[in-house]
Amino acid sequence: MSSLIFNMKRKTGGAQARATRGKRVKNKENTRKAILRAALELFAEKGFYHTTTKAISRKAGIAEGTLFNYFETKEDLALFFFEQELVEIIEWYERDRRMKRAALAEKLFAIIHQFLERLAPYEEFIGAVYLRALAPASKLSPWSLQTQERNLRYLRFIRGILAEAEAAGELPSVGDFGAYAFGLFHLAIITYWLRDRSRGKEQTLALLDRCLKLGAHVLRKGGWDW
Amino acid sequence: MNKSGKSGAVARGFRLGKLGLSLVGSYAGYQAQNLLFGESTRAQRQARFHQKASRRVRDELAALKGPAMKLGQLMSMQTGMLPEEALQELATLQMRAPGMHASLARAQFKSSLGKYPEEMFREFDPEPFAAASLGQVHRAVTRDGEKAAVKIQYPAIRSAIENDFKLLRSATLPGQLSGHVPAALLDEIQRGVLEETDYLREADNLEFFGKGLSGLEYVAVPRVRRELTTDRVLTMSHIEGGTLSDLLKRKPSQAFRDLLGARLIEMYETQIQRLKALHADHHPGNYLFQPDGRVGLVDFGCVKRITFDVLELRRCYRHRTWRESEASARRFLALAYGRSVPYARARKILPITEKWCDAFYPQDVTADIVIDFRGDSKLDSKLREIRQQMRKRLLQDKLIDPEFAFVIRADLGLHYLLRELGAKVNISEVWRRVAAAAAGVGPG
Repeated sequence: MSSLIFNMKRKTGGAQARATRGKRVKNKENTRKAILRAALELFAEKGFYHTTTKAISRKAGIAEGTLFNYFETKEDLALFFFEQELVEIIEWYERDRRMKRAALAEKLFAIIHQFLERLAPYEEFIGAVYLRALAPASKLSPWSLQTQERNLRYLRFIRGILAEAEAAGELPSVGDFGAYAFGLFHLAIITYWLRDRSRGKEQTLALLDRCLKLGAHVLRKGGWDW
Repeated sequence: MNKSGKSGAVARGFRLGKLGLSLVGSYAGYQAQNLLFGESTRAQRQARFHQKASRRVRDELAALKGPAMKLGQLMSMQTGMLPEEALQELATLQMRAPGMHASLARAQFKSSLGKYPEEMFREFDPEPFAAASLGQVHRAVTRDGEKAAVKIQYPAIRSAIENDFKLLRSATLPGQLSGHVPAALLDEIQRGVLEETDYLREADNLEFFGKGLSGLEYVAVPRVRRELTTDRVLTMSHIEGGTLSDLLKRKPSQAFRDLLGARLIEMYETQIQRLKALHADHHPGNYLFQPDGRVGLVDFGCVKRITFDVLELRRCYRHRTWRESEASARRFLALAYGRSVPYARARKILPITEKWCDAFYPQDVTADIVIDFRGDSKLDSKLREIRQQMRKRLLQDKLIDPEFAFVIRADLGLHYLLRELGAKVNISEVWRRVAAAAAGVGPG
């Protein structure tokens, strides 16, 4: 009897352990998200430079020491932020029915615009992070080890869209180069956007639209009619 | 003839064309050619230019949209400056030009109003139903169930226009110096275009004209929805009706054409005489015709206030007052062409003005003036000739008073519209009605 109970206990204990492990991973993920949420709120409220790790941990309801288990630096926070954004944008793109029918230039416009809309509340944070990303040793640099996974996911996403356009005859074959070029263009637009002081950042909208239309035109015609 | 200098201007004109201002560029080139070639070569070149320009105007302006498009539109009313073939191409541009895709229109709406259109309207059609000069118009239904038209401006249009004009000014410098592209005209066009970028101003205009034309029961002017309007997004009640070409496709009766013709003139006269302002672009795209004879007026972007006395000018035309004495000739010319132009230069226009008046203002004052706008080819060619002479004189003697140029443009726009419509109108009767309304008797 006792052994039976013991066995039962062991069994339930194993299942529990597995469940707990799964739960722990999930909890960990949730905590990461909670920290990011708290940090972003504080950035929007007080500004990136004036937000302390203490304030973030207090807002997220964790000990300050625990915070460092999740994010060593603010850069790691930014890395996670961009990862989340990318995941959500890919989800949005796949959900959005209008995007399926849109022309290539509109699809690409909408993707960058979605990014910018999501960055908008945290402009100062993004600006600060952006400056740091330019340092060669930065984790945020587009060439750093830490950003490679995200970059590849992004490139695959864009390459998929370009491949569809190629198949539909909207675009000549551009191969992987197309996705890389678009990625660089995307970075350039974010830089422009950060500096754009026009109302509602409409200059960025105009630039984005014109560049994409021009780009599509150049690729279709195989050159630029000077 | 200083060939190298002139062809330098031509080259510059065409190079500018490649930069996107293709219409203006080739116009500068064309004007320069006019000076270079003799009559016969000129005729050939002219025909080729017209075709080429028309095609290019259609392709490039439609592709570029924005400022160049607007310039094209303004110049299309600038009948003196552009050949008929190009005009016809431009006329087709006015209602249907490609514009922003749905994602950009939404983005621009949010950039201006802070929310996406679907958050502010009950329904919003992401596909535009009409191209406006500097943007496009979408159908929508407001939260309280009113059908609306939402005009959205292409982003950052203002700075784009300013840049284009800088370019235009430097590129047309030779033309400005020779008087072929009057600087005052450029100023006037730029002022008009920039004014049109402010939709709040347009909202004011809509309200002004809505009130001012309320006495004419057949006129429909959109009502502004201020809470859904900014300087870049204009929401107004939707006006039903089709364009002039839609109307003509249904082959309306002559009586209906005449009725509409009289109404168009009455609207026009009420504007210049009573409101002292003109709903600017009198081009076909800005009128909506309803089967019951109601006329909708849309696009109040570029409204012109008139400070000179139109009635007095008409009186001068009718009585040929300049024949009376030098003093009255001076008065007439100052009225028509501004005070800045020296009399010695201005008076050269008088013989052509006489011809012009013979066509439009018969001296026999006892009879009513009835104008038949159904294309009389003999009258047409005569008018074209007069117009060409007039243009030549105006350009040569720099007789362009911006305000007068504007009214002439509007006059010609109306004339063009009535020609298309093919109406026959007793103008004197219309004038009497307008005068009676002004005196408080009310129309009809």
